[in-house]
Amino acid sequence: MKDKQFWVVSAIIAVLFLIYWVAGHPYFVADRIVMFISIIFLSATLIFYTRAAERGEEFFLRPIPALKAVEEAVGRSTEMGRPILYVPGIQDMDQVETVAGVVVLGHVAKMTARYETSLNVPVSRSIVMKAARESCRDAYTVEGRPDMFNEDMVHYLTDDQFAYAAGVNGIMVREKPAACMYMGKFYAESLILAETGNSIGAIQIAGTASQAQIPFFVTACDYTLIGEEFFAASAYLSQKPELIGGVKGQDMIKLFVIAAIVLSTILMILFETAGVGINISDFLTIR
Amino acid sequence: MFWKRQVPIFIVALIGSITLFGWFIDQPNVKEFIGDDATQWFDVLASFAIILGALNLIKMQIQKVLYQKPGWQYSVIAVLGFIFAIIAGFFIKGVDDSVAEWGAHVTSDGTLFKWMFDYVFSPMSATMFSLLAFFVASASYRAFRIRNFEATLLLVSGIIIMVGRVPIGGVISSWFIMYLIVLFLGIYVNSIKKDKKVTFIFVAVGLSLVTIAGTIMGWPIDQPGIFYLPSIQEWIYYYPNVAGARAIMIGIGLGIFATSIRYILGIERSYIGE
Repeated sequence: MKDKQFWVVSAIIAVLFLIYWVAGHPYFVADRIVMFISIIFLSATLIFYTRAAERGEEFFLRPIPALKAVEEAVGRSTEMGRPILYVPGIQDMDQVETVAGVVVLGHVAKMTARYETSLNVPVSRSIVMKAARESCRDAYTVEGRPDMFNEDMVHYLTDDQFAYAAGVNGIMVREKPAACMYMGKFYAESLILAETGNSIGAIQIAGTASQAQIPFFVTACDYTLIGEEFFAASAYLSQKPELIGGVKGQDMIKLFVIAAIVLSTILMILFETAGVGINISDFLTIR
Repeated sequence: MFWKRQVPIFIVALIGSITLFGWFIDQPNVKEFIGDDATQWFDVLASFAIILGALNLIKMQIQKVLYQKPGWQYSVIAVLGFIFAIIAGFFIKGVDDSVAEWGAHVTSDGTLFKWMFDYVFSPMSATMFSLLAFFVASASYRAFRIRNFEATLLLVSGIIIMVGRVPIGGVISSWFIMYLIVLFLGIYVNSIKKDKKVTFIFVAVGLSLVTIAGTIMGWPIDQPGIFYLPSIQEWIYYYPNVAGARAIMIGIGLGIFATSIRYILGIERSYIGE
């Protein structure tokens, strides 16, 4: 879609929504209008920067050491002649983190195909197994090494949290992978995995949005992708303009959020101390 | 190509949009789909997929035993456990129908399956979980080693939180903490000035000031509050900690939002290959 068409379509949608709103907005939960407008605004920001990147505009992305270390880890494994262990979390594909983990796995698989290094992906959900296999198969095919792909490189262990941790720990202790990557959603098993990886001297890279597990990974791993960095990993690793544009959009949204927090704090102080303005918390509270 | 690319992208866009915008629609059918039907669809799909997982597991373990790969002995136990669970789940209840019907037997006391769960599975899970305590200790040791300013800050905060949260923390007087601070500051001053006289004067003046203040105030255990461990730990826990956690949480929220929008709009397609 060209720019002009894009703006025309956006304007038509906006006008249609205004007409719907004026007509009494049937079935719409009016209490959630602030959230609705925020979602539209944030989505528009993302689309704007994605389109700008597609047009050829260049964006600076701050270097993330953990992502640079991924290739180093693959190289180290190749030199040592040992496999890479990739753990895509313990949750199913209904979690965004698991999907992000599988996407990053695709990029890692491309590197292992390029370097001819063996990859071991134990999973804890059957659907993740199928998705991860497809991702790896595709990566090996794109790199021109379909012969190196083996279905069993992605294998199922168990759905149970601690049984899975025991299984992965067993693999670590027996096979002694040179690099361990944990990318997905984790719970209490995060430290069990990361500490075992540490004990075998593997280079460890973790990425998760599970807030409670981030300190454990930071402590036990060499590199950690914290929260949003993990979701931006695919853009960094693929270097696709449309994805990089999305990351830039994400950063701009963060700027808006910071501005909104500062502004809301000032308004709230004014309202509570001097009774000036409006109670912004009423306006922003999600109902 | 159409079935492998366009159709999945269309399904993701459609279901994703309904789920996202359904939050704003007050219509019972839409609400039911989002709150119940969609998750049930996923559960049904996952239930079918578990067969694939189980087959893969048993295939891998049997291969390991047949080719006597390293650690094949463990695979023998895995295969036997697999067979035992199937027998206990589908063929031998261990009790009469009057005690437990088929289906209910997995949670009824006295059945073979429940026995396996209570006396094999649960203790082994608990064993794995309890390992966490030792791993926390070893990870804390590494994190608390004084290497730089951040690690020192972490160590000090960690000690304050740990001591401040246990009963003994409440009986440590804030004056004792103040004396300790003066002594530590003395070490710092000495490392910068490298002059014994300056250090002595600093420590002597500091200790004297604390003693005079304590005598005037009557040495209350929890005053001044900023040097009382339970108060300090509470402040660390509820202010710097919450601020940092919320900053990470906002970043995570934005990341999830941006990623979801990229999937819904079809910008990110890596999950179905290239």
